[in-house]
Amino acid sequence: MSDHDREPAPGAEPTAVLREPQNLVSPRAVAYWRVSSGIGTVLAWAAVAVVWFLWSDRPWWATAALVAVAVAVLVPTVVMPPVRYRIHRWDVTRRAVHTRSGWISREERIAPLSRVQTVDSTQGALMRLFGLRSLTVTTASAAGPITIDCLDADVAARLVAHLTEVTGAERGDAT
Amino acid sequence: MSGPVDPSPGPPLPDEPLAPGSAGDEGWRRMDTRYLVVGPFGAARQFAIPAVVAAVGIGSGNGTWGLVALPIFVVLSLLFGMVPWLTTYFRVTDTQFEVRRGLLNKTRLTAPLDRVRSVDLEASLLNRLLGLTKVAVGTGVDDTRIELDGIAKDDGEQLRRFLLTRSRSAAAPPVPARAPAPLPHAEPYADPYADPYAHPYAQQHPQQHPQQHPQQHPQQHGQQHVRPSAEPEVTELARIDWSWLRFAPLSLARLAVLAGALGFASQFADDLPIFDADTVRSTYDYLAAQALGLVLGVGAIVALMAWVVVAVLASVVQWWNLRLVRDGANLRLTAGLLTTRSTSVEEARVRGVRMTEPLLMRPARGAELATLATGVGEGGTTTVLPPCPRDVATRVGHEILGTRGPLTVPLHRHGPLARRRRHVQEQLAVLVVAAVLAAAVALVPWDWPWWLPLAFVGVFTPLGVVTAEVEYRTLGHRLTDDHLVVTGPSVVRRREVLETDGIIGWVVQQSFFQRRLGLATLVATTAAGAEKVVAVDVPHPTAVGLAHAATPGVLDEFLAR
Repeated sequence: MSDHDREPAPGAEPTAVLREPQNLVSPRAVAYWRVSSGIGTVLAWAAVAVVWFLWSDRPWWATAALVAVAVAVLVPTVVMPPVRYRIHRWDVTRRAVHTRSGWISREERIAPLSRVQTVDSTQGALMRLFGLRSLTVTTASAAGPITIDCLDADVAARLVAHLTEVTGAERGDAT
Repeated sequence: MSGPVDPSPGPPLPDEPLAPGSAGDEGWRRMDTRYLVVGPFGAARQFAIPAVVAAVGIGSGNGTWGLVALPIFVVLSLLFGMVPWLTTYFRVTDTQFEVRRGLLNKTRLTAPLDRVRSVDLEASLLNRLLGLTKVAVGTGVDDTRIELDGIAKDDGEQLRRFLLTRSRSAAAPPVPARAPAPLPHAEPYADPYADPYAHPYAQQHPQQHPQQHPQQHPQQHGQQHVRPSAEPEVTELARIDWSWLRFAPLSLARLAVLAGALGFASQFADDLPIFDADTVRSTYDYLAAQALGLVLGVGAIVALMAWVVVAVLASVVQWWNLRLVRDGANLRLTAGLLTTRSTSVEEARVRGVRMTEPLLMRPARGAELATLATGVGEGGTTTVLPPCPRDVATRVGHEILGTRGPLTVPLHRHGPLARRRRHVQEQLAVLVVAAVLAAAVALVPWDWPWWLPLAFVGVFTPLGVVTAEVEYRTLGHRLTDDHLVVTGPSVVRRREVLETDGIIGWVVQQSFFQRRLGLATLVATTAAGAEKVVAVDVPHPTAVGLAHAATPGVLDEFLAR
């Protein structure tokens, strides 16, 4: 107990480093992200075009702003998909799930399978076109759902089977 | 004195049914008949605001409206007040607590007995006069609680005791409520998932009780399954001390409620003749002519005194007769002057505590204490102590945690980079507001002085420095034997202690700027309390190391060798 009363020494804490998860998502995810982001870009361009033609006697700074917006909305479509493909990675073992996501910010999530409550997989209309499926694993915490985006549909199906088997063997209420 | 519900154990459970329900209907019972008195009042209160609005809206012209509307209001209240009594039934079977209700949309709520985590009793003043209480049952997994109004007080007490003892005895062989003594710090604890507490229900099976017959009354079974020492020992952890009232005015949380009430009241104030704009203006002119400074000073003193009175009164009403007891395996809180509350939660479900020291209370060495639990209402956190001396809060908190230390240990600081981030964020906020002000001064033709943005920067930059420093000094984390201890970057010192067994996952977040500095925000997810405990701006390797040490085994396969 005396150990508790002392001021903790600096640098006395254990450190560790997470390795990169091993599995990539489906390569088709890049095209999917590009298309879904591209839809947003095209819509934004349409809005810019409307303003451009309706507001013909605009000052110079409005022109600059419109051009800037038009270029900025292109960035996610061009840059994001390949970066995200490198970042988004996952691991599922018999004991735990580990994912990494994000492209500007990063987020790594880990949950032991003994605490998993539900395993869901979803597929939007556009995702179906690309043969992709997303997988979400939830725990008893609202802060804890783990999503693996844009898996190959077959891989997702195999994972769901694996996860339901492992978590189904667990007892208790996982809180 | 008609005190609130007596939390003492009372006589042993009688063998008779909870209340005389009509036999032969599979044990379904109605609420107490006395609810027929309470119900209409509740319904009337629901109708009151629309009724008053309607009356003010249409009735201001002629008085006959009131004569017609009042009987309608009364009759409707009576009718709607009786509907719940007519349509609500509940029963306790061997395995479940069930409530069914509804006239047109019928709902049936079921709580498996082994999933019952908390039972709350709440009785408003009217309910208490009639000897009634409201029962709310919380289960582990769902956030929703099953509420049942209009139960006789004694029945409610029995139901609470039955549900909690039954939930426990049905669940697992009795185990000590806590690990008896903290392990030595150096020794890593065993795999948390091997701990009997990780799966307290693993051995629970309906088949374990094959001798039970569904038609028999569960009460008798409750008796059978209670541990040999059927009367659980009651230990008092805390009791109200009226000297704690000195902290009440220092807690400003109530001020928001008060401001809301004043805002609401001001809606109606318009209709009063004295709040006529002309009256106000002439009064103001008169006062200003006398002595503005004096008026403001007196006003401030009056407001301060009013606040002290309101805060103390509210605290008395809320915490009257507070008792926090450990009753066998349950933690029970009873309090209240007008409305009495009794909150009971299975202690194994209390996964941690939160001690809050608001800015004003820090010099006075005061604190508030709340528990983080699963299967209770109100977002999983229950405030168990009013503003009180910090020593009391730490003592009771340690009592609840079952170990000494987590609320008093010095924490690890997060380092110079975390400090820099606090300063940058504070100054950025100041600069953004100053820039907006400057733009407003330059572009908008209001006659604002040109030096306004500079004055703003001059005042708020030093304030930002002080705030950032205070925030950084508050920021900290520590892993004790069984608990993760975290305080956030805030001028309010809020120490959250979470049992490591209660951690069900980890999130390591890094924003773009955090990534550049090698910092991370570590989120321990849990089913208890607000469902997460957050450590902001921890150096990334320390964050991962902390997670690894707190839940051994979980991260093993994902670490770089």
